[in-house]
Amino acid sequence: MAQMSNDDTRKKRNQRAADTAARLEAAAPLFGAGKEVSSDNTVALLEAVIRAGDIVNIEGNNQKQADFLAESLNKVDRSKIHDLHMVQSAVPLASHLDLFENGIAKKLDFAFGGPQAGRVAKFISEGKLQLGAIHTYLELFGRYFLDLTPRVSLICAFKADRKGNLYTGFNTEDTPTIVEATKFRQGIVIAQVNEIVDELPRVDIPGDWIDAVIQSPKPFFVEPLFTRDPGLITDNQILLAMLCLKGIYAEYGVTSMNHGIGFLTSAIELLLPTYGEELGLKGKICTHMILNPHPTMIPAIETDWVDTIHCFGGELGMEDYVASRPDVFFIGPDGTLRSNRAFAQTAGHYALDMFIGGTLQIDKYGNSSTATASRVAGFGGAPNMGCDAKGRRHSTGAWLQCGQELPSLDQQLGTMPRGKRLVVQGVETFGEGRQPVFVDKLDAWKLAENANLDLPPVMIYGDDLTHIVTEEGVAYLNRCPDLDSRMAAIRAVAGYTDIGLQAKPEETKRLREANIVKTPDDLGVDPSRATRAMLAAKSVKDLVTWSNGLYNPPSRFRNW
Amino acid sequence: MSKWNDLQEHSFLESNARDRALGIVDDGTFTELAGPFDRLSSPHLELLGDAVAFDDGLVSGVGRIGKTPVFVVSQEGRFIGGSIGEVGGAKMANTIKLAIDFHDKLVADYPDLSEEEKPVLVISFETGGVRLHESNAGLLAHAEVMDLFQKARGKVPVISLIGSKVGCFGGMGFVAAATDVIIMSEFGRLGLTGPEVIEQEMGKEEFDSSDRALVFRTTGGRHKYIIGDANFLVADTIAAFREKVAELAPLPVAAFEEMRRVGSPETVERQVRGVALAAEMHPQDARDVWAKAGNDDPASLTDMPLAAFLGQVKRLSV
Repeated sequence: MAQMSNDDTRKKRNQRAADTAARLEAAAPLFGAGKEVSSDNTVALLEAVIRAGDIVNIEGNNQKQADFLAESLNKVDRSKIHDLHMVQSAVPLASHLDLFENGIAKKLDFAFGGPQAGRVAKFISEGKLQLGAIHTYLELFGRYFLDLTPRVSLICAFKADRKGNLYTGFNTEDTPTIVEATKFRQGIVIAQVNEIVDELPRVDIPGDWIDAVIQSPKPFFVEPLFTRDPGLITDNQILLAMLCLKGIYAEYGVTSMNHGIGFLTSAIELLLPTYGEELGLKGKICTHMILNPHPTMIPAIETDWVDTIHCFGGELGMEDYVASRPDVFFIGPDGTLRSNRAFAQTAGHYALDMFIGGTLQIDKYGNSSTATASRVAGFGGAPNMGCDAKGRRHSTGAWLQCGQELPSLDQQLGTMPRGKRLVVQGVETFGEGRQPVFVDKLDAWKLAENANLDLPPVMIYGDDLTHIVTEEGVAYLNRCPDLDSRMAAIRAVAGYTDIGLQAKPEETKRLREANIVKTPDDLGVDPSRATRAMLAAKSVKDLVTWSNGLYNPPSRFRNW
Repeated sequence: MSKWNDLQEHSFLESNARDRALGIVDDGTFTELAGPFDRLSSPHLELLGDAVAFDDGLVSGVGRIGKTPVFVVSQEGRFIGGSIGEVGGAKMANTIKLAIDFHDKLVADYPDLSEEEKPVLVISFETGGVRLHESNAGLLAHAEVMDLFQKARGKVPVISLIGSKVGCFGGMGFVAAATDVIIMSEFGRLGLTGPEVIEQEMGKEEFDSSDRALVFRTTGGRHKYIIGDANFLVADTIAAFREKVAELAPLPVAAFEEMRRVGSPETVERQVRGVALAAEMHPQDARDVWAKAGNDDPASLTDMPLAAFLGQVKRLSV
């Protein structure tokens, strides 16, 4: 037992703080007024505060990017700074992967690959990049507070003052999570900002959690990832959307959900004020959503379908519209949105009744993946929502009904009732590039082999998937008593893919009689009505009109 | 509801060539000439091993609006960008020729014919100009059409409709300019050299073709209406285009002469004054021109609802 005395020789557990102080001391000459560092001194600052082997985070999700800091990190002296262990949500920028090519970084733990997914796979096989793991967002955020706490984080914000207070506003996204994990374990946080001002609209991150602010030479990059042009929605997608609304939303009375990115979910959003209204569903479905500010939600919001939307991030062009609808969105005292990915993902994991999205491939068992043989695409947030949250305890109608329909529940829980999240994949049987969506074996297996992964990267596992919607109809997988019947239900809606051609008419007939498979006809959906005339907005311009001129679409979506 | 009724509220932008032709004239009056069942397809494409279309990407025919016979040419952007080849070009030229011959015969047989009973020609443009696979034939068609416009002048008014996805570019941009009147929607684009080619020749600083907002601000319907290259700006429905055509069709041919933007000493002088103004102003953006026309807040004009735009926009006069 240690002695209590004045000349205590026990190890002082404050080495990190001392190390941080020493690093910041080395950087002291680079500072201007307060916490301001000129952009010319960025590389010198990074060289002063980062050490070889550090765990480093570069902020960037699929929306805002600390792009200037990422580029600057590529310019450091690699004889001093090397073998960095990068931990970050996403690696969508070329500069993120250049770090590995340049020998500055060695190991990567991440969640989402985006456009660099091909290089991630290539670098792994060439030995340039050592992959820790591919995570979901919440899982990675959790590890920031466990075994992957960043020593240095390079983040981004719209505005800072000279005390280091940050305004992250509309695109707050991951910033609070990264800063909290880093700073409260004595790490160093450097922020690139678009503007250094005297007074901020509001303080999103307190200045004493920030070590340096740099006004970047140009504003950080934001990708309008969640904007879908209604002009590109096809009649087939509208048919799928009608089947979803009637066969699932109405059938279960789903009030809370997340919509994955894609033209199908955009079509559903644009059908709420038309087909949804016709089915009398207003107030009964889609009242609470966890969703980025999708422009295609504007008509539904304007016709009072939605109570609440909480956002993971922002969406370029939606700033003014969102700010003017504070009854619906989460708006700060300054009048602008604050997004927060960690909270939105938490709600998405525990509180939502349904996740609906698309995928590239579904195998004969119902496992689905967006991985291809040569791209480590990652998961992002879909798996947190596209699964049944085992820790959920509150009940809602849709969740209870989905659970009650599970014939296999008693095999695990005896007579104990339990609900289940609806996890829906809406796909055309032949997807992008006319490739079959239904396959015998996922390409994820080949990727696991090519990139030496422990497991094939599966976005949604078959046991979590409850429904598949295709142009052939709806498969209610949650109503299947066993794997054989699940596989038969999948075949029944797989159309003319090789999997679908194995469907036996007799078997499909039995599944229809058992309400496990429903065709458009069974659901009373007339495919001839599935035309673009059904859409509440047929173009981006229509969305601007719906928004009363408040939606300001990015240039690439403007055709007027 | 008949198909024709459905078509009226369809987006003009999204409608194919045949739907535009059917919908622009009165219900049930359209007769297609040299249609797909006649199987007149391009011999050049076949030689090159490319896919052909039985209408060669162009719908031609005749219908009626009220008492006015309406000859119709409608281009299909989804077939090789609406490009003009030998067969499509011949269909276009012959429809104009037919309209002129019909006019002459009608006037000769019925000297007391009212203005509204005389034919008009409507061209729904969706094209990038000459089809490069058959360039000589395509160019020849352009020349023939221009020549026929001169023959039609004073007899058969030629009305341009521009509001389809491809826009109206290349040689067909000249052709549209030479018609009597141009009706556009805000989604229509009219120009000569396409945005990508300008960027390729002059550099990204001169014109960034990936900046869609810039492209539309410079070639789109609102700008063309402000600077006077388009006579009328209408909503994006077949009904709105049809309504404007129906309003113009009964007018005496002399009224069309006043709507022309080129082709007389006065219009040439106006064009020259426009060129002089451009040289003096050196506009960096279409909005500079809108401001010059007297619009105090030019940036607001882009997203303003169409009715509000038409209500308050000031057009350039030189």
